[in-house]
Amino acid sequence: MFEEASEVFDNMFKSSFPLTFIVFIPAVLILVSPLPTEAAHEFTVYRMQQYDLQGQPYGTRNAILNTEARTVEAEVLSRRCVIMRLVDFSYERYQKALRQSAGAVVIILPKNMSTMPQDIVQQFMELEPEMLATETIVPVYFALEDDELLSIYTQTLTTSSSQGSSSAAEVLIHTATANGFQMVTSGAQSKAVSDWAITSLEGRLAGTGGEDLPTIVLVAHYDSFGVAPWLSYGADSNGSGVSMLLELARLFSRLYTYKRTHAGYNLLFFVSGGGKFNYQGTKRWLEDNLDHTDSSLLQDNVAFVLCLDTLGNGDSLHLHVSKPPKEGTTQYALLKELETVISSQYPEVKFSMVHKKINLADDTLAWEHERFGIRRLPAFTLSHLNSHREAQRSSIMDVRSVSPSSRHGVGEPPAGPYVDLRKLSRNTKLIAESLARVIYNLTEKGAPGDLQIFTEQMVQEEQLSSMVDWLTAQPRAAQLVDKDSSVVSTLEYHLGHYLKDVRRHYVKADKRDPEFVFYDQLKQTMNAYRVKPAIFDLLLAVCIAAYLGVIYLAIQHFGVLYSVVRRITAPKTKQH
Amino acid sequence: MLFLATFFPTWEGGAGVYDFVGEFMKATVDLADLLGLHLVMSRNAGKGEYKIMVAAMGWATAELVMSRCIPLWVGARGIEFDWKYIQMSFDSNISLVHYIAMAAVVWMFTRYDLPKSFRLPVTVLLGLCVYKAFLMELFVHVFLLGSWTALLVKAVLTGSISLCSLFLFVTLVHSN
Repeated sequence: MFEEASEVFDNMFKSSFPLTFIVFIPAVLILVSPLPTEAAHEFTVYRMQQYDLQGQPYGTRNAILNTEARTVEAEVLSRRCVIMRLVDFSYERYQKALRQSAGAVVIILPKNMSTMPQDIVQQFMELEPEMLATETIVPVYFALEDDELLSIYTQTLTTSSSQGSSSAAEVLIHTATANGFQMVTSGAQSKAVSDWAITSLEGRLAGTGGEDLPTIVLVAHYDSFGVAPWLSYGADSNGSGVSMLLELARLFSRLYTYKRTHAGYNLLFFVSGGGKFNYQGTKRWLEDNLDHTDSSLLQDNVAFVLCLDTLGNGDSLHLHVSKPPKEGTTQYALLKELETVISSQYPEVKFSMVHKKINLADDTLAWEHERFGIRRLPAFTLSHLNSHREAQRSSIMDVRSVSPSSRHGVGEPPAGPYVDLRKLSRNTKLIAESLARVIYNLTEKGAPGDLQIFTEQMVQEEQLSSMVDWLTAQPRAAQLVDKDSSVVSTLEYHLGHYLKDVRRHYVKADKRDPEFVFYDQLKQTMNAYRVKPAIFDLLLAVCIAAYLGVIYLAIQHFGVLYSVVRRITAPKTKQH
Repeated sequence: MLFLATFFPTWEGGAGVYDFVGEFMKATVDLADLLGLHLVMSRNAGKGEYKIMVAAMGWATAELVMSRCIPLWVGARGIEFDWKYIQMSFDSNISLVHYIAMAAVVWMFTRYDLPKSFRLPVTVLLGLCVYKAFLMELFVHVFLLGSWTALLVKAVLTGSISLCSLFLFVTLVHSN
């Protein structure tokens, strides 16, 4: 067979060269040219969360898409990409799409969340954890709306809603003129990310007056959570906690630089990562400090651990404990000081202690202090939220901060959760005062309840505001912040300004029995190609065949035209 | 046919490029077209009609291959459907007719037994053929025609040119 082929090639090359060209070129083109792509519209989509926590999978499992687009009103949804807008989103529709095993769901979010009415935002926030709770094979994407996407949506809507209801002629015309859209994602199937290191930071301020001083630990987790990792900015939860922690670090480091105000307590500040994934950073930090090191501040005298979680709004403060503090302990002292300060200086704030026992049978722990409680360290969490199950702790709607200064667009407050900078700075001052009273033992020394240690200017609202702005400028989901990320290094730099011994702490999942597994392909590019329905190709082929037939007949009978022209011109010459 | 097709690429340089560079540049390029057609026809030994047909068909095929094959191959095979490929195909049909008319007019221009009264119409037709592309661009820009309307106008223009040249041809051939 090969000899014959070579003979043919020899003959071709020997005879006229151009002939070979004409034969070769189409063959080469067929083999070599890839199928070209020219998208009607290309846009970024953010995938829903995908992670395993303690062996339990959550979220969507799939990341590839190559299907036609439809909206929810269409009858047949299976293996189609269902596009929904946030205004039309409801759980029943979402379930309908999943039940009919749709190819994918794309939810279009408006560019400016503040245009959404309050109830839709609330409803979506309630639904976020439900969407994540069930593991689904259907990939769910979120896209930010722009004009092209909106036009694609309206065109798909007209196609989908007219499917069941028109006559055959209308359907025929419709197929010839309508535009379908094929949604294709670029990128591979999602796989588990191996060796992901969650970073946490610690720093300290050493107390004065000998060895074995009691330690106060202040903790806040810096990562954020939402239904889509790339869209979770976590302004209130927990951007407020981190900025408050940094502000407290600044205040107390100033106090500790002067000998007169240098107190007899060690202050340990811990910015933890992986907080939304069952406080992985804190868990490993505790293990390392208590089990694997000989001496650490945590092993000796710990007065209490105060965790800051979601303090940027609201007019109430709740101190969540797993065991009510006993009288005479420093923990109890802080509780009393908080009550004193609030009742005398901030009467508008409602304060209460919430007692919730640690339930080890739950999938995840409620608050960060429970991690410390498990290791028998006295701890509590301060938050303006009453319950750890509040939807706004893990919502993508928690996007920004609002301040009375007009830098952030004065006007209506945003529909979702947000940080009110005035309230954040009030809370910071409150906590700073209470801590100072505990550290300097002021109540025992007889200081009145309304003595203000920190004047108005000391707690800098601009500092808080710029911190929150910077934190909400990028998504801080735990899957996106690796150890080289700018979030971690900037936090390290800031802590280094005020604290000594700033150290990083890494958590990697155990190889054999991983506590957490993250997956990649969280942000992809989706292309929407304009496609025509299959009938259209058939119609077009028939029309082209008809056209060619007409042309053929015209050429065959060209002689008729020729003789007509001849007859017209002949009398003219005869008249000459 | 194939033999002729191989020669054409060297002649048929810029028929696919439309650009408002200058009327002069355009005219020069299209005049070169005319020269090329004339050269090809003079090489061919045969009756007038066969010369015209062979030259025109070869020319049109070369233009098709050079300027339309690649876009069609690369573009029409994609996922997306675009009406512009259908328009491109219609356009190639129209230019076939146009080249036949152009070849006929060139042939008539170079005949020694062309009556004096025909000189003017033939020259006018020749000019029209050469500047047809320019005229089309002008129409599209001035009247802001859509792509299908432009195609229609082009078809009408080419039809009228070819009808006129057919009349002249018939009169010339059958006038003795």
